[in-house]
Amino acid sequence: MRRETQNVLLVLLGGALLKLALTGTYLRYVKESLQPWLVGTGAVMILLAVVGIARDLRGGREQGEGVAEGVAGGPPGGDSPEGGHTESGHPEGAHHHEHGSRSPWMLLLPVLAVFLISPPALGADTVNRSDRNAAQESRAGSGFAPLPPDEVVPLTITEFVTRTAWDDSGSLDDRTVRLTGFVVRKEQNVYLARLAISCCAADAAPVKALMVGQDFSALPDDQWVEATGRVVPGSATKDTAYVPTFTVSGVTPVIPPEDTYEG
Amino acid sequence: MSEVTITGEIRGSRPRRTPPRLRITSLEVLCVLLVAALVFQDRLVAALDVPVLRTASTVFVAICVQALPFLVFGVLISGAIAAFVPAGALRRLLPRNTALAVPVAGVAGVALPGCECASVPVARRLMQQGVAPAVALSFLLAAPAVNPIVLVSTAVAFRDAPMMVPARFVGSLFTAVVMGWLWTRFGKAGWIAERALRRLPDRAGASRWSVFAETARHDLVEAGGFLVLGGVFAAAFNVLVPAAWLETLGAQVVLAVLVMALVAVVLALCSEADAFVAMSMTALPLLPRLVFLVVGPAVDVKLVALQAGAFGRSFAARFAPVTFVVAIGCAVAAGAVFL
Repeated sequence: MRRETQNVLLVLLGGALLKLALTGTYLRYVKESLQPWLVGTGAVMILLAVVGIARDLRGGREQGEGVAEGVAGGPPGGDSPEGGHTESGHPEGAHHHEHGSRSPWMLLLPVLAVFLISPPALGADTVNRSDRNAAQESRAGSGFAPLPPDEVVPLTITEFVTRTAWDDSGSLDDRTVRLTGFVVRKEQNVYLARLAISCCAADAAPVKALMVGQDFSALPDDQWVEATGRVVPGSATKDTAYVPTFTVSGVTPVIPPEDTYEG
Repeated sequence: MSEVTITGEIRGSRPRRTPPRLRITSLEVLCVLLVAALVFQDRLVAALDVPVLRTASTVFVAICVQALPFLVFGVLISGAIAAFVPAGALRRLLPRNTALAVPVAGVAGVALPGCECASVPVARRLMQQGVAPAVALSFLLAAPAVNPIVLVSTAVAFRDAPMMVPARFVGSLFTAVVMGWLWTRFGKAGWIAERALRRLPDRAGASRWSVFAETARHDLVEAGGFLVLGGVFAAAFNVLVPAAWLETLGAQVVLAVLVMALVAVVLALCSEADAFVAMSMTALPLLPRLVFLVVGPAVDVKLVALQAGAFGRSFAARFAPVTFVVAIGCAVAAGAVFL
């Protein structure tokens, strides 16, 4: 592959990372804390490409003036596979040759994926790929802080599941809570679910609660909703794979939050 | 592509005075690809609008986006070594005896806080600077697994089983050292692609900064392509491997160890995140999960793709399977001691 093509690809890829980081789309794929790193990575990529392009232009001009080509020829990494190809006296100039390696073409895939396809955040499909509910067992040991005395307590689904499964004090019994998540159907059941990620979407783990008490047939899969209701005490056990039952008293469709993941 | 290359070479070797004619190079191919992608964007999007493909493409972008900052970090270090560290300085720093230098390099991996994507370009640069391959390979395997960030995230994930941290550290370090020693004893320099070992040309006349920029740029383009390739495989496995049957393994420890080792290879998780995934597999005993944590940073599809790119296919075909076996052995041994 020509150096020019490599540099164009680097600019495109760096631009894709900058676009993700600056428009907030990166939250579909990674955690919020990665944003400054993405900006830096995109900037470094573009900078390296621009330095490379500038050197090529300068090298080309020097060659035109008959200056013996020195280092500007092959990359200092020493990776021009066709040795004789870059000999001085070659009419095309060293930086015009085709590289043997084809791997840089792969860089086009993420560029196209980001700019043209822009894959959505993970949703119902991922939840249904696993039967487990990522209730964190280790939370049991550290105890649970008391809930605020509000009439309706907003909770993350992770917190809701963890408390139902592992909090022996029954802090959720007789409390009305509000959960935000998307609708997932499996067999006859309707769940309210979120995905928890610890690094990137590749390690997403589902957290979910079984919704009962209303007719949810009007809600399509992946529809984001805010649901208020109460837990059925003791419903998250080993037999139910730690999926608590949530008796819903009110459910309203909402627009998806900017960061759809928990954790 | 090969056709294009050949055509380019034949045409390129002619004197410049021939009348200008249409030259098809990678630049033109890229333009055609971009235009075609734009024109067929709607069809492309429609074709991918199947739940499983949507999930896979999201996971693919996520893996690339997560790994690229680490890769860029790695190529910057690699470029800095090429430009600012005099050839032979590292060799003088390490013990002269390779068998002694291997564990030193393994422990030195503590100093590179990144995931496996960062360590491949650095290890390759070390070889070019005259460090013995066995020593550089030991560093390559140790760095992603024993650095402080990975150990801290392991400690956070396994608050209930704090012995996982020393078990992981020892298991990974021993994997790296054993592989280094095995390479010292049995390895052949011919397995490593010639381009990986070639000494840097004399840099007289080039400013150090331009060497730095050019080395980093070149490493980034090469390794980046292989990283993306690994990301494609990892995303495919992510949707194809049913998570459900992991939970049915339960108490069959031997089977669970083997399956978790394979899962670590195909999922190719970042070494800073794998502890949280292992932690969530509560149905499994600790030992298979330890194997998952030790094998993952040493061998996975993303890493094998990067190694094949940096050191050549005939290297990766030998190195990866042996590492896989050694990592399982070291993890089981470390588990027997600590867990």
